[in-house]
Amino acid sequence: MKLSAPLTVNWTLSYACNFSCRHCYSREIEKSELSLEENFAVVDALAGARVAFVNFGGGEPLLYPHLYAVTKHASESGLKVTMNSNGWLIDEEAAAKCAEAGFRSVGISIDGAEAATHDGFRDRPGSYARAHRALKNLCGAGVPTTVSAVIFKRNVKSYREIVSQAADSGAGTVYLHNFKCSGRGMENREELDLSPQEWRDFYEDALAWRDEAPCALAFDDPVIALLGEESSAAVKGSTCGKLSLHLEPDGDATPCGFIPLTLGNILTDGLEKIWNDSEVLHQMRNKEATGKCVGCSVYGECLGGCTARALATTGSFNAPDPHCWKE
Amino acid sequence: MKKLSRNPDLVWRDEPAEREGIVKALEGGDESAAERGWVIIIDKGSMHQLNLLAGEIWLLLDGTLDEYEVAKNLASRYDAPIEEIIEDVREFIADCEKKGWLA
Ligand code: SF4
Ligand code: SF4
Repeated sequence: MKLSAPLTVNWTLSYACNFSCRHCYSREIEKSELSLEENFAVVDALAGARVAFVNFGGGEPLLYPHLYAVTKHASESGLKVTMNSNGWLIDEEAAAKCAEAGFRSVGISIDGAEAATHDGFRDRPGSYARAHRALKNLCGAGVPTTVSAVIFKRNVKSYREIVSQAADSGAGTVYLHNFKCSGRGMENREELDLSPQEWRDFYEDALAWRDEAPCALAFDDPVIALLGEESSAAVKGSTCGKLSLHLEPDGDATPCGFIPLTLGNILTDGLEKIWNDSEVLHQMRNKEATGKCVGCSVYGECLGGCTARALATTGSFNAPDPHCWKE
Repeated sequence: MKKLSRNPDLVWRDEPAEREGIVKALEGGDESAAERGWVIIIDKGSMHQLNLLAGEIWLLLDGTLDEYEVAKNLASRYDAPIEEIIEDVREFIADCEKKGWLA
């Protein structure tokens, strides 16, 4: 189905961050930020186009000074607002403000089952404890929570503990994210990323455990089609540019946070033009099988896997996902 | 009879351009087009698509019509016998109720 507008907009209000994570796609990016009034205009454009969900990411959204004002305006305009945070700044007062502003849920990043792994990966001592504290504070304020865990070499064996601890701290869903090869993730790929066979083993285990897990598990990797997974989404393969779009702090749109290709600016070009006329989006929506994807029995479901990873490692949208373990 | 309304907590969106494409394809003799989705519902993290008829019914569930009135509305728009349409409407409404999609 070709949508008239994105269903979800992943919106980076600021690239400022108080962390320095080893896999971060955005830590080296610098962009000017829109004023509060301009961000209100962006909200109006999104609501006008009937975008359903806005998810603030970053950077660390809580460092953006008008986060609550933009959130309140967005939720009062009918948008369902969520955010992904590292949790460092979510004390009881911030959690109460999140509830008041209308956050539908807040996702906290937790990448280790013990402080050493998480704090080392995120390069911030104390961040593991504060991430769990954030979950509990949000629960206390009545804000539903999720956890985002990026799977990498040092946590893959303990992902079940990450999930169990997240559930104990009140998270309803844990997103087990595949490793993206963008920004620092690309620089540190050799050291952090799993091999295709290790990805297969991880997904086999996680999918088999899913029904017994203490909370819902969610995956964002089209390649799991190889294990018989079928997506319920209205589109197949990567959802970027088909169901979702990413906005940068200056209003520039990119297909997703991991693909640094500017499609236009929402305030000067307009969402409709970007969504309907972008040549990049056209190519992403009409991928062609190349290499081992040609003749692959799950191509219709997987469509070559994660377009961002393929682009980052080969320079082509159509190349097979480097995580794919198919021989 | 009970007036039917959508569950206000559900997130959904119709895609009129897709609907137009379906209608055109049907006019061109492609009967399978009737199964293509044009309304998206997001429920508990899962995405559901409604086909031509289900989508038409869904859009009418604004709290002003009951089951029979929904069928009557569609029968006149599609120039079809109400006896046929009412069965589809009943089936869809029962499914919506089971899924918690109605208020
Ligand atoms: S991954 Fe997130 S928390 Fe870590 S440095 Fe990047 S923006 Fe900050
Ligand atoms: S070969 Fe291509 S289409 Fe098949 S699973 Fe791998 S990436 Fe996906």
